[in-house]
Amino acid sequence: MVERYLNILGSWVEVGRLLQAFESSVNPSVRCNTLRIEDCGVLTERLERLGFEVKPIRWAEHCFEVVGGVNTVSTLGATHEFLVGMYYLYRGRASLLPPLTLSPVAGERVCDLAAAPGGKATHMAQLMRNEGVLLACDVSRSRMRALRSNIERLGVRNAVLLRVDGRIIPDIFPSRFDRVLLDAPCSGEGLIMFDPSRKVKTGTRDLVRMHELQVELLNAALDSVRPGGLVLYSTCSIAPEEDEFVIAEVVEGRDDVRVERVDAPLRLSEGVEEYFGLELPDYVRLCVRVWPHIHGMEGFFMCLLRRVG
Amino acid sequence: MRMGAGIRCSFEDTTRFMEGVVVRLFGEDAVKVLEGFSLLVCRGEFAEAYLLRGEVADLVNDLLGSGRVPYAAGLYAGRLRRSSPMFVPSVDFLSFLYTSLGGFRRALVVGERGLKPFLYGKDVLKASVLECFEPLSKGEVVGIVGEDGFVYGVGLSVIDSCREIEGLRSVDVVAENVFDVGWYLRGGTEARERKFKV
Repeated sequence: MVERYLNILGSWVEVGRLLQAFESSVNPSVRCNTLRIEDCGVLTERLERLGFEVKPIRWAEHCFEVVGGVNTVSTLGATHEFLVGMYYLYRGRASLLPPLTLSPVAGERVCDLAAAPGGKATHMAQLMRNEGVLLACDVSRSRMRALRSNIERLGVRNAVLLRVDGRIIPDIFPSRFDRVLLDAPCSGEGLIMFDPSRKVKTGTRDLVRMHELQVELLNAALDSVRPGGLVLYSTCSIAPEEDEFVIAEVVEGRDDVRVERVDAPLRLSEGVEEYFGLELPDYVRLCVRVWPHIHGMEGFFMCLLRRVG
Repeated sequence: MRMGAGIRCSFEDTTRFMEGVVVRLFGEDAVKVLEGFSLLVCRGEFAEAYLLRGEVADLVNDLLGSGRVPYAAGLYAGRLRRSSPMFVPSVDFLSFLYTSLGGFRRALVVGERGLKPFLYGKDVLKASVLECFEPLSKGEVVGIVGEDGFVYGVGLSVIDSCREIEGLRSVDVVAENVFDVGWYLRGGTEARERKFKV
């Protein structure tokens, strides 16, 4: 793993900083749910009365980092305010990026291909002001229950929940959606600060298996979006095998897709163009990566693709 | 709805739901706020009602045409039952209704001290009731609302009218807990909750 980081980052100093960031804690964040409350000041006042210290996240409207007080995730996940859906709780801030980058608007047809437990799906419904339609799919039975709980708790009323493998969505809804989010299942290599076991959990074979699934899911996402529509591919992994290599394999295999520049709400690092001597196509530079030691968040990757023709 | 669990979903005439359930429980004007919705009912172990409109209804229609059923869709209205209570509304349905009507119906406003045990599955006692909104009927559903105006759950009323509260002792139960939002943490492990809630 360290050898791979050295190959990408190019210096031991940077690798050291990355490993140190993986050992540091990241503050939890909350998204004020405007589907339930109009004035987010009411939420922040209530959280402060409970002993939490919150600070607005400048690049994410209605979102707050919990910087002090009893800022444990378990406590934040058991307040009355949480239970009535005044906010969604995140372990870090990077998960706010995909909905803000894909940026669906009211009235659109949107699909979240791997939606559970629903942080990004409910965020998109909030951006859509509960108008239009959001198809939220997941294959896992237990995670589907969590998704439904979150959808109901947060007052999302424009969603259709479907328990299927996302790979079959184009069979049911070919070229149907204006925007598709694929927050792909991944090794979670960007989340080591939350789960240190991920340092050793993923072997090369796992990465290969994951890569194959990610390629199939991304092709399904592209087949589900209408010509001209957008697909946002994201992972909570910083491994190029799950990120730029997936993008390159899918784009090279099709003639109806173009990588677009990611207009993220904050400045992020470019995609990796060269890895262990392998040169990737220029367009992967348009993808973006969140580095824990640079951006102070969990590791993350995003790439925006447009279906053309 | 669970895939492969023998669930059948279909769009049904809204008239019976509106007149038999909504008007009976919440009054004539409640129907107005539900105009434009289609009614989807999914029947398996339980019968669940969803209110859909516009693109959501179109997508579900196409989904049903492909031989699949949604796990859930639109606004989950609640569970339809053959015995009393014939309809157990969801918290989100009550929230929608109260917001749209601009006030509470068939509801108890509960103080903070009573809300905490309620969120652990306990019943609502007279001592914690701050306000009562008619109509109430014994054995029928009642919204449980916090002082902040949010709906925290659904109960079964043990009284026929708000006036009856006066005659109760402070430790007497006013509403039995059917569902509370603490379920989102507990994961629906209580048998009583499973009876009313997926």
